[in-house]
Amino acid sequence: MSTLPRAITLAPQAAVPPAAARRAARRRARRETATAWGFIGPAVVVILGLGIVPVLWSLLLSFRADDLVTPGRWVGLDNYRALAEDPGFHTAVRNTLLYTALYVPLSLVGGLALALALNRRLRLIGLYRTLVFIPFVVSATAQGVLFSFILDPEFGVANSLLHQLGISPQGFLSDPDQAIYLLVLISLWSGVGFCVVVYLAALQDVPPELVESARIDGAGRALILRHIVLPTLTPVTVFLLLWQVITALQVFDLIYVTTKGGPLGSTTVVVYFVWQQAFQTFTAGYGAAAAYVLAVALMVVGAALRVVRRRQSRTEGVVR
Amino acid sequence: MTSSIARRRLLAGAAAAPFLAACGGGASDGVGSDGTVTVELWHGQSDTGRKAVEALVAEFNRTHPRIRVDSAGGGVLSDAMLQKVTAALASGSYPDIAYIFGSDLASIARSPRVVDLTSALHAGPTPWRSLWAPVREGVTVNGRVRAAPALLDSLAVVYNRKLFRQAGVDFPRAGWTWDEFADTARRLTAPGRGVFGTGWPGTGDEDTVWRLWPMIWDLGGDVVAADGKHIGFADQGVRALETLARLSRDKSVYVDPKPSGEQMYQVFMAGRMAMVGTGPWQLPDIIGAGVDYDVVPLPTYSGRPVTISGPDTWTVFDNGSARSRAAVEFVRWMMRPAQDARWDLSAGSLPLSSATADRPEWRLHSRRTRGLDVFTEALGSARVRPVHAAYPQISQALGEAIVSVLLGKDSPAGALRRCAQRSDAALLIPR
Repeated sequence: MSTLPRAITLAPQAAVPPAAARRAARRRARRETATAWGFIGPAVVVILGLGIVPVLWSLLLSFRADDLVTPGRWVGLDNYRALAEDPGFHTAVRNTLLYTALYVPLSLVGGLALALALNRRLRLIGLYRTLVFIPFVVSATAQGVLFSFILDPEFGVANSLLHQLGISPQGFLSDPDQAIYLLVLISLWSGVGFCVVVYLAALQDVPPELVESARIDGAGRALILRHIVLPTLTPVTVFLLLWQVITALQVFDLIYVTTKGGPLGSTTVVVYFVWQQAFQTFTAGYGAAAAYVLAVALMVVGAALRVVRRRQSRTEGVVR
Repeated sequence: MTSSIARRRLLAGAAAAPFLAACGGGASDGVGSDGTVTVELWHGQSDTGRKAVEALVAEFNRTHPRIRVDSAGGGVLSDAMLQKVTAALASGSYPDIAYIFGSDLASIARSPRVVDLTSALHAGPTPWRSLWAPVREGVTVNGRVRAAPALLDSLAVVYNRKLFRQAGVDFPRAGWTWDEFADTARRLTAPGRGVFGTGWPGTGDEDTVWRLWPMIWDLGGDVVAADGKHIGFADQGVRALETLARLSRDKSVYVDPKPSGEQMYQVFMAGRMAMVGTGPWQLPDIIGAGVDYDVVPLPTYSGRPVTISGPDTWTVFDNGSARSRAAVEFVRWMMRPAQDARWDLSAGSLPLSSATADRPEWRLHSRRTRGLDVFTEALGSARVRPVHAAYPQISQALGEAIVSVLLGKDSPAGALRRCAQRSDAALLIPR
């Protein structure tokens, strides 16, 4: 019992034995924990069941010789050794890197250019912004089918347009030398829309007072873009870079519906290679190993970008 | 208070319901409380084929009160069935019956879950000997019957008579050669009007490959050599590819860039292709498009008729003895001449057995459908692809060789040399 004078504004509390109070608190906490788990349980089950477990399962699979229908056997790192030797996998990696090296910079530059063009007060600006974004909403499968029709070598619109211009008909997706570049273009048609929307949002954050003062100091458009707009957009650009690299390295659906990795393997990318190994040639363990090579590559890209960002945020203060 | 408890129970029950339902699918032996056995069927058919299967399933369920075949499951088309079934087998929750392509049977039949139907079909209601030889070979792996035949086809050439008349070229006749075929294709090609002599699927998948086997067999080659270590078409393949190279040089072949070869048939049905190699399943669409067509057997090099048949299968999986017994009963019922004839009429399949071919409804249908008898007669000279575990890799390698020749990227000899290297490597893998 305390000897302090009791505040008259507080109701006299029933003297609860501390053990009981602790029990009550524990009970309350237990109830709260149970409620909390009740709320997040379904999401946890879904994430564990559809995310974590398959990832671990496929890691184990990549150390086995397994065709998914008969009991497999443990082979350790043999799948990875075979991958290093496999010319088919090398081609797939080369194709994926080529696709990424073209798609990522082009989608960022195109997205920024369009966002700058759409970031002004015009009549019907909402309509233009919508039109740019619509292709992003179209599913990759639908895009693939649509462009297959347009680019059909014999009966497509594209060749008849070229014919009008007096250019000889092209093979397009059935030409091994053109197919991968066309797939980059088709992906850009939809991928740029996403970059535009993100950049448009980011452009709202460019401080107008800085732009104004730069103008008063006599800076032209190019200088303002270089010294004010682009630095402000840097964090967004890094995010988009990471996002688009991940998207590009994982491209599959578009290729599945347009070329099936052909003609002559010229558009076989890593994910398509994985699919082929698992479901066409029944070497699922080998496919899982290829998938893990890709996963490690994605992690390295993500980690590298984080390191770059950290360095920048440390030096930014000094520069300014 | 009571109401909140009741609500909580209700919620818990609702949350658990899907899990319970999911457990009810695979783990149980499928026998309901009233003694009926539920059998899950993945038929993979679309449009007319789906209607036909569902009508047959409904009749089976009516006449077999102890068995209920559920044909709603799967949600997958036959082109993707192999992937879907593989994933289902890996997860341990698989159907009782699935529609598996003949060329995929060897890969699937490695699974211990695939029911051995040897005794069930040898002693079945449809005499084993009455089935066509390609049917019997197409469901046999290592001497055991691993599936029930579901659909039978054969390859022949369908040609557009109107285009032949316009070009003033005689209709092709049985016994023609591949050289005559290439000549005819060249003469019927009219680039100005967008008309092609013939077409070939150009993605390098099985549809690209299986059309070449009759040419190779005709020249005396085989898929795998007698020693089992090498391909059996090293020289014959070059000669067959030379025919394709000639079509490609003449620009008389439409190389279909799209997966599934649908585009090639669209071109034919639009009256812009003179000849197309296809099976009886395409006839309903060709008739529907109003093409003035007729059918002629495949050309040969030797003059001896030969074609390829790709029988598809109902493969039965083991989900406990009650369910497999019911599944076997269903596939045996489907093979009976009465059911087989109904299925053939709607799905464009050929009769599985001579008993079906003798049924009056099939005879009438065959008389009414121009050219159908050519496909049926071709069954006498039809061979099937070997049910071999390395076949997918050989097919992939040959597919690339065919496409590179069709696109003029490689010489027949060079293309086949690379195909042989890859295929022989695949044949070395112990299986």
